[in-house]
Amino acid sequence: MDLAETSHGEGGIAGHLHYWTLKIDESNPFMQIHLDTMLVSIVVASGLFIFALWLKNRLVEGAPSGAQNFMESVVGFIDQTVSDNFPVHNPLIAPLAFTVFVFIALINSIDILPAFLIGNVAGLFGVEHFRPVPTNDLNLPAAMAVSVFALVLYYEFKLKPVHFMKSLVMEPFTNLVPVYLKPIVMPINLILKVVEEIAKPLSLSFRLFGNMFAGEVIFLLIAFLLLGGGAIGMAAGFFVGLAWTIFHLFIGLLQAFIFMILTVVYLSIAHQPAEH
Amino acid sequence: MSLDLTFIGQIVVFLTLVYLMRKHLYGPMAELMDARSKKIADGLAAADAGKEALANAELEIADQLKEARAKAVEIIAASEKRAAELLEEAVGKARNDAQGIVDSAREEVTAELNRARQTLRSEVADIAMMAAERVVEAELDASRHAALVDGIVSKGFGNA
Repeated sequence: MDLAETSHGEGGIAGHLHYWTLKIDESNPFMQIHLDTMLVSIVVASGLFIFALWLKNRLVEGAPSGAQNFMESVVGFIDQTVSDNFPVHNPLIAPLAFTVFVFIALINSIDILPAFLIGNVAGLFGVEHFRPVPTNDLNLPAAMAVSVFALVLYYEFKLKPVHFMKSLVMEPFTNLVPVYLKPIVMPINLILKVVEEIAKPLSLSFRLFGNMFAGEVIFLLIAFLLLGGGAIGMAAGFFVGLAWTIFHLFIGLLQAFIFMILTVVYLSIAHQPAEH
Repeated sequence: MSLDLTFIGQIVVFLTLVYLMRKHLYGPMAELMDARSKKIADGLAAADAGKEALANAELEIADQLKEARAKAVEIIAASEKRAAELLEEAVGKARNDAQGIVDSAREEVTAELNRARQTLRSEVADIAMMAAERVVEAELDASRHAALVDGIVSKGFGNA
């Protein structure tokens, strides 16, 4: 947090929570696109891709060093997590978990930049609003969570279609009621099961979004509350902001880990052999 | 804060990134790390095999040493026996030789003695004859009484 940047702040916190939006159809709120979210996520993704290409050509089979060493520890960690949770081997899961973890961790780390820095730089180019951290935009966590959820459904149907369809209508109540009541409880079961399944992507996306969004709001609060305090307020703001930055960095890493581990867990549930 | 087209865009970005990461970062690295673990495992297995071979070789060496030692003891025993035999043989032969020498010497001594005895006998006979001649010179005829004197001499010197 660089407090010199906060002098920009006018119009309160809400004024800083707008996206750089391209409206395609004014009447339909869905038909718009957050250019800042897209831009930053594509930049981060491209950076990762370029890093991958760069590293790929200097991989050595002997003792690793530097970037390779670091990436190997990440890969080894993800690999361990996945193989601990999975009853069967699926070559897609580990790269998916790896991407989830690294991508979210990187995007969350953008928060260490001063809160208004990128916004102000974008302002120089005539962009009115710019949100630098895409995980603060529900679209990114939701996109990842829904992708993961689609994969979960895909594997549920692919690996144990009968069992999954049965569990949709037969759980949790069927065994508790007499036979003639079963047709009555089936719709109730279906509703409960659908809620249970929908809760997965919802909780997954809102957990990440909520944490990162709240962190951003607290940055803004610190900035605005202490801005009026003169030199003392600015000095205090610097240290409070620094402390929150460190803590928020930790939260960002933690959220990346949680998203990754839940992805693995949901997918591993889909891979569990059906018990009869 | 609601979903919009960004959501679709982010799905595309995310899935593309998953694909690229799998192909260009995770895949090669996982492969590499697997290859390395396999190499390490192979190396450790080879080290174990080498250790085992060394232990086997040491056992074999100990066996061969034991065998060689036993053989050496055998050879020493045999040669000692042979030496004792040779010694015995030599001692026996020497004893025989000595016996032979002693025997021949004894024979020689006996022959010499007999010869001396013969000489002495004839000399004593001559002396006795001379003495008798001197004693009975005139009245005794040497040729008449020679038989008588010989008889006395052989009686007197029969055991000499």
